[in-house]
Amino acid sequence: MNLQKQPFLFVFVAVFALWPSVGQGQNAPRLPGELAWTIAYDPKTFDPAKVDDEASERVRYLTAGVLLRFNRATQRVEPSLAESSALSEDGKVLTIRLHSGLRFSDGSALTAKDAAWSIRRVLLPETKAAVAEEFLDAANVTVQTPDDRTIIVHLPKRVIGIEKIFDEIAIEPAERSSEARVTSGPFFLSDYRRSQYVRLKRNPYYRDTGKGLPRATGVRLDILENYEQIVRLLVRSDYDLIDNLPPDYFEMLKRKAPATVRDIGPSLNTEQMWFNQSPTSPISDWEKAWFRNRAFRVAISQAIHRDDLARIAYLGHATPAFSFISPANTTWFNRNLRLPARGLEQAKASLHEGGFYLEGSTLKDAQGHPVRFSILTNAGNEARGKMATLIQQDLAALGIQVTVVTLDFPALIERLMHTQDYEACLLGLANVDPDPNTMMNLWLSSSPEHQWNPSEKSPATPWEAEIDRAMTTQASSMKMAERVAAVDRVQQIVAEQQPFIYLVYPNALVAISPYLQGAQPAALVPRVSWNVEQLSVRGLR
Amino acid sequence: MRQSLSLVLLLALIISAGAVLFRPGSSYVHQDRDALFAQASPVHPAGTDGMGRDRLVRVSAALLLSLAGATIASALSTAAAAAVGILSASSPGVIGSLTLLVCDAFLALPWMFLLMMVRSAIPLTTSPLASAVITFLVLAALGWPACARAVYRGTRQLRHSDWMLYAAASGLKSNQIVRALAPNLLPLLLPQFLVSLPAFIIAEANLGALGLGIAEPLPSWGGMLAELGNSATLLETRWVYLPVALLVLVLLLLEAITAEAQR
Repeated sequence: MNLQKQPFLFVFVAVFALWPSVGQGQNAPRLPGELAWTIAYDPKTFDPAKVDDEASERVRYLTAGVLLRFNRATQRVEPSLAESSALSEDGKVLTIRLHSGLRFSDGSALTAKDAAWSIRRVLLPETKAAVAEEFLDAANVTVQTPDDRTIIVHLPKRVIGIEKIFDEIAIEPAERSSEARVTSGPFFLSDYRRSQYVRLKRNPYYRDTGKGLPRATGVRLDILENYEQIVRLLVRSDYDLIDNLPPDYFEMLKRKAPATVRDIGPSLNTEQMWFNQSPTSPISDWEKAWFRNRAFRVAISQAIHRDDLARIAYLGHATPAFSFISPANTTWFNRNLRLPARGLEQAKASLHEGGFYLEGSTLKDAQGHPVRFSILTNAGNEARGKMATLIQQDLAALGIQVTVVTLDFPALIERLMHTQDYEACLLGLANVDPDPNTMMNLWLSSSPEHQWNPSEKSPATPWEAEIDRAMTTQASSMKMAERVAAVDRVQQIVAEQQPFIYLVYPNALVAISPYLQGAQPAALVPRVSWNVEQLSVRGLR
Repeated sequence: MRQSLSLVLLLALIISAGAVLFRPGSSYVHQDRDALFAQASPVHPAGTDGMGRDRLVRVSAALLLSLAGATIASALSTAAAAAVGILSASSPGVIGSLTLLVCDAFLALPWMFLLMMVRSAIPLTTSPLASAVITFLVLAALGWPACARAVYRGTRQLRHSDWMLYAAASGLKSNQIVRALAPNLLPLLLPQFLVSLPAFIIAEANLGALGLGIAEPLPSWGGMLAELGNSATLLETRWVYLPVALLVLVLLLLEAITAEAQR
């Protein structure tokens, strides 16, 4: 048949040839009992030891069997492949006892030797495992296996939260790492089509098989970034969950399928602005003087209507923030924080105290310089752009002229990290770990990531020195109460000094199909799929 | 007749936008934080945007700013193109070829990256209006080479025309020849000027849609068109389509005016 002579038929054939991709927007049919959701891009690796991107991390979470698991709901470390674990008093010896009768997904036995091999592998420099850094001195960590079920890890120096690090170490068969094809976790990798999907199958030898876990027969992770499509496919029940929804799509989905969306409340992430206090930055001396003036920073913080930022920039799906620890971080959030009073009048009073005065509608410093500065943020982030514009109007009420500058990310990083040619910056920090010990690089004055004044040779101010001391205390103390007190003190200093002006905690927004059973969404990632063993689909089609 | 109608419509749009923007009490900056995505009302005839700002006022300001910026950029780039085109056509062969080579090199530049680089190099405290002026100046600086090629070709044709040969044979000096040449290039330069107008408007809108154009709180087509990239926003109000509708109308009117001018 000559298709060129049959134009109508040609169009008909073309439409139906394209139908599966255009019409469905997904790449493979769902198998019976299989869960389905999306990851934004192709995982860089399936080797659990080499994971350093979010998509690979998602696959590792679903496939890796770990000795100890950090429970995202209770925020406590629990035994997983391990039956028990014990840390010595000096915090340098961790003894882990395995469950009996453990097997890998191919049926082979899992013993302490496999666990020791897997731990040693992530510690080897040639593996380049990101988790190795968390051991502080990975080269001198030793692992012993006195018997088939016991692993003893000797640390050269104490590591805060050592148990939680094991949440990231997949136990693989010794000497035959299989890139997730043979695992000790709930699922193993069965199929991967680049740019299409990752398919995982149920591990028939999973440790809790006797309890009917994992409940699902498998998981299909479609590689899809477009929220329009993801939302549409969730409404059609082609997907079971969305782990992270932007606020506008949350609202859209709320209209289409109100029963599917859940706002879990503040996430661990923060959005904040800060002023450049670096003495070596190329900004003018009087600007440096403003930014080092505590009263000025406090006044800015007082004048910002955080409720409006949350309501307008995040459509109500954010929580006003005053600390680097989110209220979702139940262990570390300081509930007794004493904050400077907020409001326009209070801000004016602070500015007066700091030597500023209003001339006409322009705020001036003691030397008569009009107060104007720019807020830098990254282009393409709608919420940050809106927050900067709202702050612009809030500060106009004080007589401060603010310019909002959006730059592409490389140009922004160049200014922040290298030239330090900026006045104020508005960015966010994504926290995956509730333990503030992971934020040491942000708070220690000597750190290059101490953003408001990086790499100080010695603390520039007494309060920065106090933060250094408190953070060091929390990193070295054996007593939890002492650590909490130290972090509480840091939160209080930050609230008083405002080196970072915290704006909002974006809320954790998720969507859950009505057919999905067993979901208990948590603020910590992966928000809905953290208890994947318990998840199943019921009554679907 | 069609040209006059298009021109009248465009002028009517400009006058209306001016009336909206400069009426007492109107502000493209003011945020009515209790009226986000408000529907059309006597206070806000086209509703408000996601930050409670009057959509009609902002669209009017964007229209005027974009047209003014594009007109200036277009005039500058056409003038630059005329100068370069006449110079290369009137110069000895090597210099003319070199000048054209520079034109081609400019045409080959990845202009979007160049604009991003310029944007990141502008001092951060540059006011939004100054950054808008710089944006259009950069567009003008990048927009002249294609036009210069056309001017070069037109000038070459004129240089070899009978009356020009007669003028040269009569002993007219080079500067006198150029002076005689310039008015005869106007029929070529006017369409080039008009063609550049929509190109600059679209270029600015492109930059704005990427978040790299005119800075807030100044309104721009690009910034408002960026709203259309999100179907969640489209559900909020149909007035979100107003900027794109007006932009298309302006572009069509400019195209009609250009087409008629070319005839």
